[in-house]
Amino acid sequence: MMTLMRHDHETDESFYKILEIRHLTGNAFSIRLPKARFAFKAGQHISLGIVGGNQSREYSIYSGENEENLEVLIKEVQNGYFTPQLRRLKIGRMLEVHGPFGKFGMEPEKAEKGKFVFIASGTGIAPFRSIIRTYPNIDYRLIHGVKTLEEAYDSHEYEKSRYVLCTSREKTGDYHGRLTGYLKTCTFAPDTQFDLCGNSEMIFDALEILKGKGFSRDQIHCEVYF
Amino acid sequence: MNLADSERVSAVLEGMGYHKTDNEEEASLLGILACSVRQKPIDKVYNKIAQWNRWKDKRNLITFVSGCLLPADKDKFLKTFDLIFQMSELGQLPDMIREYGVVTPAGLKMRQPIMPKNEHIAAMWNIKPKYQSTYEAYVPIQNGCDKFCTFCAVPYTRGREVSRPSQEIVDEVRHLVNQGYKSITLLGQNVNSYGLDKNGEEITFAQLLRQIGEYGNTSDQEFWVYFTSPHPQDMNREVIEMIANYACLAKQIHLPMQSGDERVLLKMNRRHSMEKYRSIVEDIRELIPQATLFTDIIVGFTGEGEAEFQNTTAAFEEFKFNMAYIAMYSPRPGAASFRWEDEVSSDDKKDRLHRLSQTMKVYSLEYNKTLEGKTMRVLINGTDRKTGFMTGINEGRIIVRLDHHDDSLMGKIISVKITDAAFLSLSGEVVPA
Repeated sequence: MMTLMRHDHETDESFYKILEIRHLTGNAFSIRLPKARFAFKAGQHISLGIVGGNQSREYSIYSGENEENLEVLIKEVQNGYFTPQLRRLKIGRMLEVHGPFGKFGMEPEKAEKGKFVFIASGTGIAPFRSIIRTYPNIDYRLIHGVKTLEEAYDSHEYEKSRYVLCTSREKTGDYHGRLTGYLKTCTFAPDTQFDLCGNSEMIFDALEILKGKGFSRDQIHCEVYF
Repeated sequence: MNLADSERVSAVLEGMGYHKTDNEEEASLLGILACSVRQKPIDKVYNKIAQWNRWKDKRNLITFVSGCLLPADKDKFLKTFDLIFQMSELGQLPDMIREYGVVTPAGLKMRQPIMPKNEHIAAMWNIKPKYQSTYEAYVPIQNGCDKFCTFCAVPYTRGREVSRPSQEIVDEVRHLVNQGYKSITLLGQNVNSYGLDKNGEEITFAQLLRQIGEYGNTSDQEFWVYFTSPHPQDMNREVIEMIANYACLAKQIHLPMQSGDERVLLKMNRRHSMEKYRSIVEDIRELIPQATLFTDIIVGFTGEGEAEFQNTTAAFEEFKFNMAYIAMYSPRPGAASFRWEDEVSSDDKKDRLHRLSQTMKVYSLEYNKTLEGKTMRVLINGTDRKTGFMTGINEGRIIVRLDHHDDSLMGKIISVKITDAAFLSLSGEVVPA
């Protein structure tokens, strides 16, 4: 095999060395990288590949805009191709990062004035952590739907009065059942902005509930995880 | 995009002294530009290369594959093709061919990052294409895609959205018009996201259309500028106003809908609601009532049951598309949806394709009937194989068949009186100049 061009892994600005891997549950972990070399809006996502590998995936940024580390939250897909490889990586390995992507990002002027309800299932909490860390004074309520308590990733970081954990498989959360069940019981101010992130089924059901409560589609912003 | 890509590949190869042939059996270099959205074309690649590699026993032959290639495809193709390259590496193709020398099936792999580099994409745009027609041309304005639709692998093959400098685009359009081109299509995966990647340092798509429109107003040539494909997420009223305001911007809009069902749209990660799509169509109908509306649809996507399909049918009845490119869903390795069960049976997909095609025909015929008796401008661009008579397209890209043949009219825009309408085409007679 002939090689015409060799790529310089050490100097490419899209390559980031893994600094830390935090194992949050049996199958969820976060990867910490050096500070982002690009400007991003809290809520946006990046694509991540393993240098020398041949695939990439998209992950919402888990860290705040100006933090010293770029961080992503990942759940290992059982029998998946990519996430088990990511999970096995050691500190020091290089990742290829591209982005930021997406319009699911918080604008500073909006963050100051708005009233927000963040609705997340599973690792869909990632963009909201980024937003809350970027705008510590933001007026928010975070509704997080998971199966069990251990999936309440870094929940100690959120103000208790603003965070509602819905656990569907055990009675350990603030609400026992799916987050859509909790959503049906809620009342919100008419000018509330809703941001939804998670799997498409949850988002569709939550959209229907919110529309049923009289909120317009313009007030609801979605980021689908797949 | 493949048409624009192939014109640039042709330019590079002809620059090396190769001449294009339509006969595979006499070619000394054979290549394929692959597609990212559907798996079927990729399957065809495997059939083709098996045949070509058999020919190598008898003659000197170099094979290559490019276009939308996933890294995983590349690994497989390495075993069968001599050369594999990303379109962003097209400028290096002559060196690859020269260095390749003796033909063996060993393959050639370039070490590269997963995503193409911006400077390589810019270099590709600077390759002057070898246009395959003297009256229809395709002008790439953007490479890559940031939308991550779950059925598509483009973001993984072409990388993120990168906009071509607007001055280059306007210059290429101007050059083409001066050369006598009549139909020019601006190409990109999401043309209406044009410029957004430059964070204010490039004009927007609407502004690009305005520049082209202004040029059209000063030109004494008659020509039509199209674009494909826009994404509903970034489509706005300003773009539609530009089309309405400038004569050279063709009154035809291709607006991929993919599905008429909200749940399926979310599953596809299309990032637009039916409400958004509807508001765009309403703007089109208000500002450009004469515009034809084309769309793309995927039937049988994961999660599409009969009820969801009925919502797509209802959308057809609401929007009355003139043309729809309807594809049966086929999981594409590398796209996110490939990991999901392809749960709609092949028979159901075929059935839905057939039913939706029938629905489309009803509205297409209804619209075409309104054109009977009218005189319109038609670009003559072909010959009917059966009759030998000329065919063309009107500004709305509806096929027009003529009971006439005159080679001198090929590539010209002429006046035609419509005498009859069918569901996907019109018949007419030439109006003497």
